[in-house]
Amino acid sequence: MLKGFGNILVKELKELIRDPKILLGMIIVPLIMFPILGAVMNFSVQSAQEQAQKATILIMNNDGGNWSQDFITTINSSMRVFISNYTNPQDVVNQDELSECNTTQLIEIPPDFSANMTQHVSGNENITALVKIYSVFSSAGVFEGIGSSMIDVFIDGFNRQLAPNMVREEKSSIIKGQIEEGVDPAQLSALMISQAIAMPITIMILLTYSMQIAATSVAMEKEEKTLETLLTLPVDRFSILMGKLSGSIVVAGVAAIAYMIGFNYYMGSFTSAIPAGTNLDLVSLGLVPSLFGYLLLGISLFVALLSALAMAVVLSAFAEDVRSAQSLVSYVYPFLFIPSFILMYVDINALPLAVKVALYAIPYSHPIIASRAVTMGDYWTAVWGIVYVSIFTLVIMYVASRLFATEKVLTAKLKFRGLRKRGKKAAQDLE
Amino acid sequence: MDNAIRIADLTKDFGTIRALDSLNLSVESGEILGLIGPNGAGKTTALRIISALLLPTSGNVEVFGLNVVEKAAEVRKIISYLPEEAGAYRNLSGWEYLNFMAKFRTDSKDEIQRIVNDAAEISGLGERLKDKAKTYSKGMKRRLLVARALMTKPRLAILDEPGSGLDVLHAYHVREIIKKYVKDYGVTVLLSSHNMLEVEHLCGRVALLNKGKTVAEGKPHELKEKFDSANLEEVFAKVVGLA
Repeated sequence: MLKGFGNILVKELKELIRDPKILLGMIIVPLIMFPILGAVMNFSVQSAQEQAQKATILIMNNDGGNWSQDFITTINSSMRVFISNYTNPQDVVNQDELSECNTTQLIEIPPDFSANMTQHVSGNENITALVKIYSVFSSAGVFEGIGSSMIDVFIDGFNRQLAPNMVREEKSSIIKGQIEEGVDPAQLSALMISQAIAMPITIMILLTYSMQIAATSVAMEKEEKTLETLLTLPVDRFSILMGKLSGSIVVAGVAAIAYMIGFNYYMGSFTSAIPAGTNLDLVSLGLVPSLFGYLLLGISLFVALLSALAMAVVLSAFAEDVRSAQSLVSYVYPFLFIPSFILMYVDINALPLAVKVALYAIPYSHPIIASRAVTMGDYWTAVWGIVYVSIFTLVIMYVASRLFATEKVLTAKLKFRGLRKRGKKAAQDLE
Repeated sequence: MDNAIRIADLTKDFGTIRALDSLNLSVESGEILGLIGPNGAGKTTALRIISALLLPTSGNVEVFGLNVVEKAAEVRKIISYLPEEAGAYRNLSGWEYLNFMAKFRTDSKDEIQRIVNDAAEISGLGERLKDKAKTYSKGMKRRLLVARALMTKPRLAILDEPGSGLDVLHAYHVREIIKKYVKDYGVTVLLSSHNMLEVEHLCGRVALLNKGKTVAEGKPHELKEKFDSANLEEVFAKVVGLA
């Protein structure tokens, strides 16, 4: 039974391991990619923790009594506190005082705070003191709720020192410069993060599919020996290239739509569990892109897709067959996966400068960055991304069209051996 | 007669390998010229350069007076190239494949239909043309591809091993079709082959290539007389042995 199995297994392993494309694409790349990803995430978590430790807070004291002073003094012992001169929280937002104080958290102490505290300590336990917390919501991310969580911890500690439930909090969000009363930023972030995960995954899969399709399309022509015939026909080489790219876009687009429908249903099963009346209507909060935003997102996705397809065509021009083409294309996958995994959980603005620059340099990051930017009404980020990716795409398209216009599309091969061997092999293949 | 192909001092290098070394050759309009030679002699490289697929390192190649480098697009309009190891699109039927190819030659639906009907006759595949190419045998695929190469009645057909993979009957059928297209439609044919019988029966003239050069050229009977041989196989062996 299974006679010869060991022999075949050893042969298979030798063949696979000795193929440098497989070694690089399937073993070395993941070994490098995931540690990089882990390092970036670790750095981001550390940065967020350090930021939280150095947190500042803006307090608007509309009470002025002794209890409010005690409250502020206690906070000041663990956080840096700024006192606002305004009495209306919307004025604080409008005058950009939060940015001036380098904070995203505003605590409003209402006028009856001290009076209620006094009544509570006098034995009237039904009366509690209220503080209002306003948090700036910038985008979904794992660190979005850290600021308000720090205040939760502080109030919990304050209550434990004096009396349980003595001070209660009411949370609101500041979204695009407007205060949205009763919208808990932590809940909002939890809801938005489902979208924040969905978009990078969808984009990652769309780009991966498309690149595979485009690379296979060119490599299949080589493998099935149809490319030579095609290139001798009275048709413009650029038309061949564009036909291949367009075919891949259509198929990848259908795949993406199918994927998005399925994935939205999957994510919908989470958001539908949010109870009614929690005031988390993203449309009314302005946390869905406008029509213009969707248009920009569509363009951003299209140019990134075109760029990925052109890259796949260029790489597959160097492959001898479908397997080689797919191995070559897999070298690009880290540039799809790393931005997707990072931006799934972290807002790009929360990242260190070097990582931020690296992500902006990768063209495939831009649809993900644009998806968040247009949601928050930041159209310029999306526009600059489109301009950058378009230039990158034009360069790659030019290279692809040059490859198709010359004999390179037939003769180019990536070899991991010396030039002499490459020349000999090319000549042998052509004969 | 006019020259259909004129090759002057054609050299092609792949890295350090010289595939063609100052090759000189001409093919007259309306003739069938056979290129023969051992593996690695440069036959396929020469055919690919004439087909405007590869660029010469040096030298000059003209097809009906058109330079294949400068007027590549014009050359492609009047030639049809059948590569040695050509394949068909696996998931297209024979009909769809022929239709796809015909559409590059004309926009007229009637003309496309006529071209495809001609191809169907050449291939002799009948109802099997409705099946996907991936279900074809090697011989059926080759017949489809030969039909594709001839169906448009090109001014110049460049056929690399046209009979490769065909059984005796179908090889004979293909040879007859090639002769018919030359006689009836004035197609010029440049073909390469390792089958000396095919070359002897089909070609008016033969050029023998070795190490990228023409080492002998002439009508089959002239070559046999010159090298005192009973057939082209002997000529081949003597010339290559002498080269």
